[in-house]
Order: sequence, then C-alpha cells, then structure tokens
Amino acid sequence: MALSAALVCTGVRPEEKMLASAFEERGVELHVVDDRTLGGSLAEWPVGLPEVDAVLVRAKSQWRNSVLARWIEARGVPVVNRASVIDTCGDKVSTTLALLAAGVPTLASSVAFSVEGGQEQAEAIGFPVVVKPVIGSWGRLIGRVHDAYALETVLEHKEAVGGAPHAVTYLQPFVESGGRDVRSFVVDGTCVAAIERVSRHWRTNTALGAVASGLDVSEELARISAAAAAAVGGGVVAVDLFEVDGGYVVNEVNGTMEFRNSVTTTGVDIPGLVADYVIRRAGTGRASAGAGPVASVPLEEAV
Amino acid sequence: MTTATRLECSVCGGQVDVPADVMLGELLDCDDCGSELEVTAIDPVVQIREAQMAAEDWGE
Repeated sequence: MALSAALVCTGVRPEEKMLASAFEERGVELHVVDDRTLGGSLAEWPVGLPEVDAVLVRAKSQWRNSVLARWIEARGVPVVNRASVIDTCGDKVSTTLALLAAGVPTLASSVAFSVEGGQEQAEAIGFPVVVKPVIGSWGRLIGRVHDAYALETVLEHKEAVGGAPHAVTYLQPFVESGGRDVRSFVVDGTCVAAIERVSRHWRTNTALGAVASGLDVSEELARISAAAAAAVGGGVVAVDLFEVDGGYVVNEVNGTMEFRNSVTTTGVDIPGLVADYVIRRAGTGRASAGAGPVASVPLEEAV
Repeated sequence: MTTATRLECSVCGGQVDVPADVMLGELLDCDDCGSELEVTAIDPVVQIREAQMAAEDWGE
C-alpha cells in the first residue's frame, strides 16, 4: 500500500506546488489540505484531515501551525516540523534562548517590557538597534532605529497599539552587512543548500524584494547551520546568518521555510529533500511519533 | 509557464494567466495590480477570488 501524507497549507504557493510534485514523483498518496477547512474536537483526529502516515504542516499562520502540530502529534502521527520546532522558531525569544543554550553564535539580543526598559537596553546595545516583534516574519514591523528619540516613538507606538505581540520588545544590534545576508537550508541535520540575499534596503527579505543567488556551502557554514537547526530541534529549517568579522552569526531560524527562489539558484532539489524527510518520518510510524496517543477518559471517571 | 486560460482579476479587472497544471487553492499574482488571487475552483471551470490578506502571525 502506498505511503500517504497530508500537506496542510493556506493556499498553494510555489513551494507547496513543488512539494506536491515531489511527493507525486515518489509515489506518495498526497492530500493537499487547506488549514482553514480543519477543526474538531482535540480528543479526536482533526475533521477534514485524511488519516495519513505523516503530515507536513505549512500553514501561513504560526499559531495554526503550532496548534495543528501539537494536535496531530497528540494523536500519534509524525509531523514535520515537530511542534516544539515550530514553537521555538516561531518565537524569536525562544529561538535566541535555544541558540544560546547550544552555544551557537548569534546576535546579542535583549528584551524589555516598558518604554524606559527599551531605552535602557538600546543604550546598552548601542545605536542603531533593530526592534522586532517577537512573533512575525517577512520583515514586517521590523525597525532600524538610530537614536533614543526615534526609539521612544517606536516604543510608545507599540505601547499604544498594545496587545500580546507588543507586550515584549525584542532588540538586536544592527549589523552593517551592506544589505547582504546568507540563508542556509537544513534538512534532517544536513545543510543542503545556501543562498545569499542582496537588497538595496537594509532588510534582506526576499518578500521585500531582495535578490537571491546561490552560494557554495562552506564547511563552516554547514557546521553552524546544522548546529542552529539542532538547537531548535532539527527537522526542516532555514537559517538566516550574517557574516561578521570573517565568521557567521545566526540571526533567525525559520520553521516553515520558503524556497521558491532557491531551487533554481542553487540547483538543489529542496522540495525533493523535504519530501524524502517526510517519508522517513512517516516510516517511523505512529508509535514513535510525538507524545503518543491521547488517552480518552469518560468525564464521570475523571472527576 | 504554460497558460491554459486567462481570467479577469477580481480586484482590477486585468487579465490573469492561469497555468495549465493549476491546483485548487493555488495562489496567483495579478501582473496589473499586484493582488494575490486564490483559485477557488478548477472543475468544471477555474474560478479565482482575492486571497486573504497577511495576518500578524503569518510567515516562515
């Protein structure tokens, strides 16, 4: 019987289309499922999701990816990425703490919980600083702040907007990279490809127009990329790095990586490697996945 | 890209190329206005609508 897998996503982007082709080429019975159609009791398998051997979660929403991964793991089915990886990568504080714990070179990041606290941390780091939302991506709401007056405005706006995403201010030193950074792709512990991104803007997100080109994976890049991936729990991740003083420092680790601009530029079949990893995870079976099946206890017995 | 058909952008009325191997849920870009469009049906005919705007926790 053919192996079955589900690809959960929010619309089919070029990445999901490439992944679907990769699974098809490998003879996997693939179900492409829109995350917005799913729901149901947490004690049961998600309604709308076919019962499969493994699930690749690629919803655009960080929260939904986390919920889906935890839910599916609780039902004993392998998920890529694991919920812990999604949660660690989806929260910049968690990512930083994981990198620090593993001894992976990373930017000296700080947090603050008030306007005054933010000012103090920025003075300690030294201007310019970069202010980021703890949760967020694609370069959204990231600010490069050059002095205390501008920072005061940014922090007061965050305070006025309020809500959970602005409860914590996350600050990093600005790295003068010349509008260039490096992204490496790690699959199951191996750095399989890398690109450099060059932008006229200080932000180097390809979502904001940075141009990507292939980069040879040096021994050092492979080593630090694999170490960063291991620090967040492994799986399939993209590591963003800066070159500083001849070495690399990790900026961020992405748990739901995009690679539409990186297959032709690197010549590496990234979606194929991801599909192979999902197939290997599926082969580990339900018994060894996640936290194991959820025990169902009738209410009258539980109280 | 092999174009199977062209549809009218639901935002600006421009022409949107739909690939021959279009998938349900596929996201297409309108070259005229830059809107992201989502394929909501492929059988018997392809239909598109404006895709959901990015939310605060969307990303990689």
